Parts: sequence; structure tokens; C-alpha cells
Amino acid sequence: MNNILTVIKKEFARFFKDKRLVLSTLILPGLLIFVLYTLLGSVFYDRAPTYTVKVIHPSAFFTALFTPAEGEASSFDLIDAEAEDAESIKAEIRAGTTDLLVVLPENFDDLIVSGGVSAVGEAPNVEIWYNSASIDSSSAFSTVSAALDALEDSVSNRFDINISAGGDVSTAQEAEASYYAMLLPFLILTFLFSGCMGLAPESIAGEKERGTIATLLVTPIRRSELVIGKIASLSVLSALSAISSFIGTFLALPRLTGGSIGAAFASYSAGQIVALLAIMLSSVLLIVSLISIISSYAKSVKEAASLSVPLMIVVMLIGLSTMMFTVSSSAHAVFLIPIYNCVQAMAEIFSLRFSWVNLVITLASNLVYIVLLVWILTRMFKSERVIFNK
Amino acid sequence: MQENTAEPLREIIRAENVRKTFTLSRKQRALEKNPSGRKIALDGLSFTGYEGEIYGLLGPNGAGKTTMLRILSTLIRPDAGDAFIAGHSVVKEPEKVRSSIGFLTSELKLEDFFTPAYLFGFFGKLHGMSDGALAARREELFSRFGISDFAEVKVGDLSTGMKQKVSIAISIIHDPSVIIFDEPTNGLDVLTAKVVTDFLEEMKAQGKSIIVSTHIFSLVEKLCDRVGIIIGGRMAAEGTLAEVSCGKSLEDAFFDIYKRTVTGV
Repeated sequence: MNNILTVIKKEFARFFKDKRLVLSTLILPGLLIFVLYTLLGSVFYDRAPTYTVKVIHPSAFFTALFTPAEGEASSFDLIDAEAEDAESIKAEIRAGTTDLLVVLPENFDDLIVSGGVSAVGEAPNVEIWYNSASIDSSSAFSTVSAALDALEDSVSNRFDINISAGGDVSTAQEAEASYYAMLLPFLILTFLFSGCMGLAPESIAGEKERGTIATLLVTPIRRSELVIGKIASLSVLSALSAISSFIGTFLALPRLTGGSIGAAFASYSAGQIVALLAIMLSSVLLIVSLISIISSYAKSVKEAASLSVPLMIVVMLIGLSTMMFTVSSSAHAVFLIPIYNCVQAMAEIFSLRFSWVNLVITLASNLVYIVLLVWILTRMFKSERVIFNK
Repeated sequence: MQENTAEPLREIIRAENVRKTFTLSRKQRALEKNPSGRKIALDGLSFTGYEGEIYGLLGPNGAGKTTMLRILSTLIRPDAGDAFIAGHSVVKEPEKVRSSIGFLTSELKLEDFFTPAYLFGFFGKLHGMSDGALAARREELFSRFGISDFAEVKVGDLSTGMKQKVSIAISIIHDPSVIIFDEPTNGLDVLTAKVVTDFLEEMKAQGKSIIVSTHIFSLVEKLCDRVGIIIGGRMAAEGTLAEVSCGKSLEDAFFDIYKRTVTGV
């Protein structure tokens, strides 16, 4: 036990006394995620562009579609144009100075008033010219064509959808919860994995490569004590690195999506949050043990990193699984599959479908896997083929 | 610990019929033209080292010296046979063996990132030493090897000679009764090599039992009380320096034995 603590202290000293390591593992990930997400958020959501639309044969109905309500700024700048300018306007669209050219039929207003139905291809045509290579032009195109479709529907109205009654049966909280249930397990696994990738290969394959692990192995320490000390310290450090990434996400997500993780977390009970932490702990131990085994097998840090890539892809795909399908809470056997059980158990908590049975199956089966992996790693540390494999 | 030479010698290191085979990789098989895929490193090796003596394992490269010392230090396990250090079996009581030996080789490195002072404390704790005992031992060894001025300099920034001294100090931190040294002067400059040989003589004077492996005859002649000549994983000759040399120089005696063993003449 004392030896385990001594190893943990040494691993911490190795990490925290190394400013570069602290910077690259603890500070940079969170900072980068924050900056990246904030930038993305400001590109996607903070902009209120004004589209320049030139209209040939302008119409009162068409103009009314883009007249903003009282007190709002219009995002469409409609300019009347002559039919003979059509070609030069298309050139402007290509050049990006104009976003859209709309050519309405000459008697557009009369068509709307008279109503009536024609087969496709026989009805009067509205031409919309746009440039799909320009983001502004394409979004102006989709807004305008959607508005025209709605106008056409209102002319020949047979039924409405969700006007007098109907709507989403989930509460706003549930809708937000299912969104986080998709996103967060993936983010958490990715952060834990990348945190561990920055540490375990260096700590195990690196020590092997530099010949420092053999120095440890000739002291009276048991192989199992060394393995447990390494895995415990690497897990704590990987978790710290993941927390740094998570703080970055936490701060930046409102800007990116308009939601707030804080509000989502406030809806979970203390018990659920403890369960969540327990699942994260078991996933970090699993991931650290797996990468440690790969690192012990590898001849060098480089090899350990490249051998871990397939594992990373598998873990990330499993993390994405919640976006593709959810498992029924009664499918208990699924919660025996390592990593996958962590993702699904976290998704259950985030989506407010918490199940004690599945949580217990997840934690108990992961404990068995972790003990097994520690045993394998201890065996590997006893094997000369692993320790002297250079 | 100090042994009076008049008393009968006490066994402290004993290898009994130790066998070790390695599996060769495909590449090695092709290189060594050995289609069986197995290489016998030690073929039933037995020898005995006595308390207070320096025992030299002498042999060409690939004879199995390093393998034998790694088995003695419990880094690897024998396929068959056993070895005993101060009465403890390397197979059954590896932790007890490790607390009674100091093992040194150029392959065992110290982490460049840490200072000698930090590593001394770290390894001392792994040997179960108390803070008080550690401080006293540190003072003693650091001044003996002249490390004190460099105690807070990272190992990576030390000279090769100073690194070697720190390695030696750390390997004997727990005052082991047996010292195992693989190729003690390999790759060292003359000054550092002298530090090492002086250290071994000093340890012997303190009554420690030492086993070294080498292919350097002069080193054996200078240091060793007893010598075992290993060829192809077997003991070709063993005895005191005088017994093995038979009145010739050790070098001549070695080549006679080598010729006899390899050609069978």
C-alpha cells in the first residue's frame, strides 16, 4: 500500500513539476475548446446578414413576404430591376455583390388572387437565380423559396398543420435533456481518451524506452503495486485533463448552441450526479488500463500512440452510438459491454431515464474488467518479453 | 557481516542448474540461421559465490552472462532450476531477493526529469526506509560519491560520470549484502571506470558479496577472487583465479578453455 502511494506521488511530481506537461495537458485543451467553440458560435449564430435581392417584375404580395414586423430590422434588401438587366445581375451574383435574382411572372399578384391549380411544369414559373458556392446566396435562396412555397400553400389551402391545435409533447427540459444525452457521453469519452493519450504512453512506453522502468523493477516493489500506482495516478491526471476540456465546453456551449449545460445539470438529483461521476470514474479506469496495456506492449512512445489510434476510433464510434439509437432500459445484457455500457448509462441519466439496475450492472461489470486488465498488466510487467522488448 | 578468512566460506549466491531459452523473432531466426526459433541462453548453469568475495562471470558476448544476472536480480525467471541469494529463492521469494541485492547495469537508467535528491528519496521509500535512515544514508553516500553539490540538478543535466555515481548510490541505498553488477565498466571513460572499480573494492572491504559479469580479463584479474567461465550457456571452468589460470595469464587460460569447449579437443 505504501509503495502504491510512493509511485502515485512520483507520477504526480513528474506531472505537476513539469510546466510544459501541465500547460499541454491541463490548460491548453480547455482553452482551445473554449476558443474554438466560441469562434464557431460567433460564425454561426451571432451574425445577422442582410441579403441583397433584385426582383424583376416586382409584386405587392412578394414584397409583403419580406416586410418585417413593427420594430424589427429587415434582413432582405429588395431592389426592383428591369428584365434586360438579368444577365448583368447574374454576373453580380457570381461576383458576390448581389445575393439573389428573383424573376416573377408579370401578372404575379393576379395569379395569387385568382388562385386555381395547374400541373407541375404548366403553372407560371418563378425564377430564382443564386450561387450555391456563397453561404449568403444559398441561405437567401432557401429562405425565399420557402417563403414562396408557404405563399403558394396559403393560396390553395386545403388544411393547416398545427395552427389551431397540436405540438411537441415533451417539455422544454426533456427536449434539452435528450439533446445532452446525445452529445455529452461522446464529449466525455473523447475528453477522457485524449487526456489519457497524452499521459499513459509517455509514462509506460516512455519509461520502457528510456530504461527507467527496469530500475524500478529491481526494488522490492511488487509488480501489482507498480501497476496499481501507475493506473491510479494516470486516471486522476486523465480525469483532470478531461475536466479542463469539460470546463472549456461548459463555458463555450451556450455561445455555440444557445443552451446551457448548467441549467441541464440543475435538473438532475444529487444521486444521479453521483451515479454520473461513478460511471465516469469506471470509464476513465477502463480507458487508462487499456491504453496502459497497449503502452506496455509497444516498444516506444510513438508506437504506443499509433497503436492506440484504432482503440480511439472504436471508443469514439461507441460514443456516437447515442446519436444513432437508444437502448431500451429493459435490455440489461447490453450494459455488460464495456465502454458501450458507460455511454448508454450516461445517456440514461442525461435523458432522465435513469435505471438503478443498469447502473449497477455497468459499474459491477466494469469493475470486473478493470481487475482483469490490471491482472493482465501485472503479468505483462513480469514478462521479460514485454519489459526488455526494444 | 565481516568474515574472518580463517573461518569456512559461507555460500551467499548459488545457481542450481539454471536453464533459460528465448523465442527468437522471425528476423533473428533468419539472421542466426536457427530454424527452430528457440535459442538456449543458459543450459543448466550452476555456480556458487561466497560471502565477502567478488565473483566474476567471464565469457564472450552472447554466452549468457547478462541473462544469468537478470535471473539473479529477479528481472526474468528461469525456465528450470533455481538460484538463491542469501538463502532466498529468486523464483519463490523475488521481493526478498530484491531487498537483499543492489543491481547495476548500464541498461538501468534514472529518469532525466528528476534530481538525485528526489530519486534517492523515492527509491529509499520503495525499499521501506524511514525518513531518518534515509537522511543519514543520503548524507553518507552523497559525500562518498561527491554528489552533494549536484543533489538538486536534474539527472538529465548531469555528466555521464556523475550519472553513473548517482546510479551506484541509488542501487546500494538499502545497504544490500549482495551487489550484482553487469558489465561494470562498459562504455565508461577511464575516470568513471576507476570510480566503479574503486567502489567495488571498497564494497568488498566492507564485507559485501559481489558478482560481476565481464569480458575484460584485466578487470577479473584486478578484482575477482573467484571466476566462472561461461561459454554457450554452460560453465566451462570455475574456481579461484589461480585454479582457473593454472599458472598462465587468465587470457591464455581462457582461450585454452574456449578452444577445448568449442572444438571438443
